[in-house]
Amino acid sequence: MARVEGSLIVCEECGLAHRWQPLGHGAVARCTRCDAVMARSHRLSIDAILALTVAAAAAYLVAINAPLLTLTLRGPTESASLIEAIATAWTDGEPLVAVVSAITALIAPAAFVALRLYVLFPLSAGIKPPGFAWCVRALHQASRWNMVEVFTIGVLLSLVRLAGLADASPGPGLFALGALTVLFASIESAGLKHLWWHVQ
Amino acid sequence: MNAGTALHEARLLGCESCGLVSTELPVDEPNLVQQCPRCGHALLATKPFAVQRTWACVVAAAVLYVPANALPVMVTTSALQHGEHTLLGGIHELWLDGSWGLSIIVFIASIAVPVLKIAVLGLLAWTVRYAPQWRRLERARLYRLVETVGHWSMLDVYVVVLLAATVRFGPIASVSAGLGLLSFAAVVVLTMLATWSFDPRMIWRDAPADGRDA
Repeated sequence: MARVEGSLIVCEECGLAHRWQPLGHGAVARCTRCDAVMARSHRLSIDAILALTVAAAAAYLVAINAPLLTLTLRGPTESASLIEAIATAWTDGEPLVAVVSAITALIAPAAFVALRLYVLFPLSAGIKPPGFAWCVRALHQASRWNMVEVFTIGVLLSLVRLAGLADASPGPGLFALGALTVLFASIESAGLKHLWWHVQ
Repeated sequence: MNAGTALHEARLLGCESCGLVSTELPVDEPNLVQQCPRCGHALLATKPFAVQRTWACVVAAAVLYVPANALPVMVTTSALQHGEHTLLGGIHELWLDGSWGLSIIVFIASIAVPVLKIAVLGLLAWTVRYAPQWRRLERARLYRLVETVGHWSMLDVYVVVLLAATVRFGPIASVSAGLGLLSFAAVVVLTMLATWSFDPRMIWRDAPADGRDA
C-alpha cells in the first residue's frame, strides 16, 4: 500500500508535506508555505467531546421546538419555532427557500449531533462503530452545511426589526440556539481527524 | 509556530477525511482513483474539473444575482399599505430608521459578501490558468477569507423566513417572501458550491516548497 509510515502531515490548502511534531499546549501548526492552519492542539478528550455533544443534543431539541420569538399586535399573539418557520415557508409557496433553510438550520445540525453521538459513545468505550469512516466523512459535510450561528443572528435581527412594529419578545428557543452555537463552536475546535487516533 | 520542516521528496497526498499521508501511486488507468488505506476516502492531487465547476457556479451565481437584487425579497401587507422590499431597499429603510449598525450588518451579509465571493472566486479560477505565479500567498488568503465568511450571506434569507412565520395577522399585518429571495438563496448556495469546487492546491501548482517563485 501507499501508506507512508512515520509522522507526516500534508497541508490541505496547498498540498505541501511537513514533518509532524507534537504541539504544545495552545499551539497552532501552520503551513510554512501558504500559512494555512494545519492542526491545533486541543485539550478535549473523547469523553469531554461526548459530554458537549449530549448537551448539544438537548439544546438542539429545545432550539427547534420552542418558540424563537413572540409577537403581540394589539391583542393577537403569534410565535414561531424553527420548525414552524420552515414549515410556513414551505406551505406559503417558497418550497426551495424552505429546503435550503431546512438543510442548513435543521438537518445539518441534526447530523452534526446524531453522527457524533453514534461515533463517540462506542469510541469512549474503546470500540470502533460500524461505518466509522463513512460517519467521519458525513460529519465533515455536516459541518460545512451547518449554519446555526447565522440563524441565531437572524433571529436577533428579526427581533430588532419587529420591535419597531409591534411588541416582540425573545422566546426560549432563541436562548437554546445561542447555547447550541457556543457548544458547536467548542465541539468543532477539536476537529474530526483526531477521531482516527482513537481507533488503532 | 511551525509544525516542522517541509519535505521535498516524492509527491505525498494527505487524506482530507482522516489526515493520513500516502505517497501518490503511478496512474495505470485514468478512471481509477487512489483511496486512503486507512479510511477509504478518495485521494486526489486536485479535485476533478475544479476550475470548470467553479466557473459554472460563479457564472450561474452572477446571473441570478441580478433578479436577487431587482425583485422584491419581502412583501409586506398592512391595513394602510402594500409594500415590496428589495435587498438594497430594505437596507436603505433600516438606514432611514436610524438603525445604522443593523443596516451595515445586513449590507455586509447581503451585498458585500456575495459580491466578494463571486469576484474572488472568478479571480481565483482565472489566475489558476492565466497567471499561475501571481501573488500566490495573497490568493491563498483570499480563498480562506471567502471560505470563512461564506455562510453569513444566508442571514437575510433566514430573517425573511422568520418574519413571514411570525407576522401573520392577516390583513392587519403580514409578511411573505418575494421571488427575489428565491434567487438570492440560490446565489448563496451556488457561491458555497463554487467555493468547495475550487481547489486551493491549484494556486500552488509547481510552486517551490518555500513558496518563492524563481
